[in-house]
Amino acid sequence: MIQRMLPSNGNSKFSVCVCRMNGLVKLALQAVRILHTGQPSLAPVPPLPEHGGKVRFGLIPEEFFQFLYPKTGVTGPYVLGTGLILYLLSKEIYVITPETFSAISTIGFLVYVVKKYGASVGEFADKLNEQKIAQLEEVKQASIKQIQDAIDMEKSQQALVQKRHYLFDVQRNNIAMALEVTYRERLHRVYREVKNRLDYHISVQNMMRQKEQEHMINWVEKRVVQSISAQQDYLASTSKQVSPIKALSQETLTIPWFCFIK
Amino acid sequence: MASDKSPSLPLKEKKLLEVKLGELPSWILMRDFTPSGIAGAFQRGYYRYYNKYVNVKKGSIAGLSMVLAAYVFFNYCRSYKELKHERLRKYH
Repeated sequence: MIQRMLPSNGNSKFSVCVCRMNGLVKLALQAVRILHTGQPSLAPVPPLPEHGGKVRFGLIPEEFFQFLYPKTGVTGPYVLGTGLILYLLSKEIYVITPETFSAISTIGFLVYVVKKYGASVGEFADKLNEQKIAQLEEVKQASIKQIQDAIDMEKSQQALVQKRHYLFDVQRNNIAMALEVTYRERLHRVYREVKNRLDYHISVQNMMRQKEQEHMINWVEKRVVQSISAQQDYLASTSKQVSPIKALSQETLTIPWFCFIK
Repeated sequence: MASDKSPSLPLKEKKLLEVKLGELPSWILMRDFTPSGIAGAFQRGYYRYYNKYVNVKKGSIAGLSMVLAAYVFFNYCRSYKELKHERLRKYH
């Protein structure tokens, strides 16, 4: 229903609503879906209209005034109302009884209360409404934020997947280094083993030479001592003044060549 | 909705205010007078009033007061027969 653009007396005088407390967050689920594959017209639900249909004096809807406006202008409905009231009173279709006076006082009191406290009650109800809506909005925002965080995390993880090749490079490098290390280790081991064996042969040779040297030296010493003693005996027996060393040199001692090698 | 009567909608879909005076009897006869139809009419009327005057963000007293005024008027009509005897004058 389109709001009529004719100004009523300011905002509606009777602006309380008990009804605001009635269905604070009720939605007008008027949308209907014809076919299940069609557009789901339940969401988003159209928002509630801001104001209800305009009503004058709290009793007569604005449409009635608009209906009479082309024929009678602005004052038409008022004249009609006054005439009707006078007619009802004069023909006593409306009878004045004691109840009339109680009705007048009751309605007067109600009108006074509504006009005095209407706006404040309305604001209070609006505030309650706003609190509820803020709560729901908070929940909605929290849920949206949660989902957004999940999306961001997913995106970052997807981006990480793109950087996987760096990981593979690192692994490749590690493996290459490990291979290199193993290779060098084994090389070193081979070197040590070979050196070990060669050292063994060398030490065997050295030992043999040493033993032969010692044995030779001992043998030579023994022969020398023997020959010296033989020489002394000979000298003593022949008393020749031959130095023992000369006598030695005359001896045909076969001294191997390697005795002179240190 | 496709209309087979070229100048206007078929009679069934017209609202009351769009029905011409000559078509009124046929329009009335065409309405659905089964119990479910009547219940549907009451429901539709209720929701029309409710969604126009009550189920809004900033409602006013008019939504409630119109219902009460209609109730008062209805009861006055019901009790007019007894009230006639309490008139102040006999001839008007």
